[in-house]
Amino acid sequence: MAVDGTATLEHRELERLAARIRLAAVRMVSPHGFGYLGQALSSAEIFAVLFGRGHVRPGHDRFVLSPGHYAIALYAVAAELGLVPEDELGSYGADGALLEAIATERTPLVDLTCGSLGQGLSGAAGLALADRLAGRERRTVAFLSDGELQEGQVWEAAMFAAHHHLDALTVVVDANGSQCDGPVRSVTTIEPVAARWSAFNWTCFEVDGHDVGALAGALDDGARAPGPAVVVARTEIFGRLTSLPDAADGHFVKLSDTLEDSVTAELEEAVARA
Amino acid sequence: MREPPYATELKPYGRALVELARERQDVVCLGADLTRQTETDLFRDDPELGSRFFNGGMAEANIVGVAGGLARQGHLVFVHSFGVFLTRRAYDQVAMAIAYPRLNVRIVGFMPGLSSPGGPSHQAIDDVALMRALPNMTVIDVADAVETAQAVRALADLPGPAYLRLKRGEIPVIFDEDHQLSLERAQVLLDGDEVVLVAAGMMLPAALAAARTLRRAGVSAAVVHVPVVKPLDAATIAAACSGAKGVVTAENHSVVGGLGSAVAEALAEAGVSCTLRRVGVPDTFAETGSRAFLFAKYGLTAQAIVDSAWEAAALAGTPPTTSDAEAAAGSYSLV
Repeated sequence: MAVDGTATLEHRELERLAARIRLAAVRMVSPHGFGYLGQALSSAEIFAVLFGRGHVRPGHDRFVLSPGHYAIALYAVAAELGLVPEDELGSYGADGALLEAIATERTPLVDLTCGSLGQGLSGAAGLALADRLAGRERRTVAFLSDGELQEGQVWEAAMFAAHHHLDALTVVVDANGSQCDGPVRSVTTIEPVAARWSAFNWTCFEVDGHDVGALAGALDDGARAPGPAVVVARTEIFGRLTSLPDAADGHFVKLSDTLEDSVTAELEEAVARA
Repeated sequence: MREPPYATELKPYGRALVELARERQDVVCLGADLTRQTETDLFRDDPELGSRFFNGGMAEANIVGVAGGLARQGHLVFVHSFGVFLTRRAYDQVAMAIAYPRLNVRIVGFMPGLSSPGGPSHQAIDDVALMRALPNMTVIDVADAVETAQAVRALADLPGPAYLRLKRGEIPVIFDEDHQLSLERAQVLLDGDEVVLVAAGMMLPAALAAARTLRRAGVSAAVVHVPVVKPLDAATIAAACSGAKGVVTAENHSVVGGLGSAVAEALAEAGVSCTLRRVGVPDTFAETGSRAFLFAKYGLTAQAIVDSAWEAAALAGTPPTTSDAEAAAGSYSLV
């Protein structure tokens, strides 16, 4: 996607933000030695672009975090942008903490989130419908993961949103190909993902989800498209980090001290480079 | 309170919702197909209200989620289908998208219990149990057309979610116009200290008929009307049952988890010691058939209530026979 001079600078900042999201996420799971790290590693650029480039303006737009397991990425970007105190990250996932491992009604910065997967898009459609009834000009952005596309309710909601021409609704799917039992394609395939959204009358963009420029361009185009739009962001569960072994469980990463050291080193280098 | 045979009304719910929506711009009406069957054709076809009606088609999980989204933006949302589809089929959605965030959504489920001829797939015999198990949820099982209209009004200003269970078709008029539905208090309709009949929804006429029969047989029988199964007015029920020899609950619902269970919990916790019998669907899936046939076959009758009261109170002799003459042909049947 074309980016002008200003956006090139912005582009670099977003890449740096994505790297910092990953680093923050590693530090958040560090006290426990395990957690939903893969979710943050795959979606770092998505959260960097959504929140770092004004696609989701907290307090104005509506943001739906359908898979609550991605709370880690939301907290990381929120701390980087000063939306939650950075020292809160230290208590991520701890008993009684505000920042729970799977997002809940208490979670800051989300208008709607689900731990029970596949429900977010229906709620997002309700939010967008309410804005239209009230004549309010604002967007509803719903973040979905690819695994939850196996839930039939997602497609009920997709049908509903297209039927009602919910122009102000944008979906971003983190297509990291990973679910609890392993690769999505080995469990029950959801491919062809983009063709399925198109068949449901959505304007669909399929991009490299680690390319901030491509994500930004698709989100811009999606906002202008008639009817609801979806950006299928093709990502890798470990966000192209080389220090995590391929065999690791992407849904729920176990991070030994040695592994943590090598991942941290790789990410610190990425932050410095970006 | 009126005497049987009761006159009937059509679409008291649909008319009450239209009336409310004309006054309240925040009211939104959602459906999942079944528009005429849920009396919301009146809303859909109203020129002033049609733009606030949305039919999500046969996709209950989604429409419940949409209801939650609308309610989060300040709407008062009424979502409609048959009770089975909104409670059994969309249970996780009702729990997570409505009950947990405590949103102002009214889940309106038609065709309770064995009032549907459609067999187990259409018979909501567990909807009260399911909804009662959800934190924050108010559960209402009204008895007649007067209460149905009043429930719509009462629910307009209730903070948080509610499940409203409604009969389809001809709705009896049991109460006079000055009747006042309360969301807080159960009502003692008849006083008595020997046996207490505790009824909700479609079983109220049968409980009243049973009480009349028992009284004619010299038994002091009370009737407590419980349109709000949750939060249960445990104090009124415990007070009415305190000192009674036998208590009978009557509901058009499984005996597991509904009114009977709620009353049993309340009485046990209040330390009221008496024998309890639960009249309702006896922990079984039923079958297709007319309401009269199914109610008779599965024991949702005035006679079953009389017999249960007789047994619970350990009364001597054989229980009296109820008169079906009280239900004239063409009116709302007591059977």
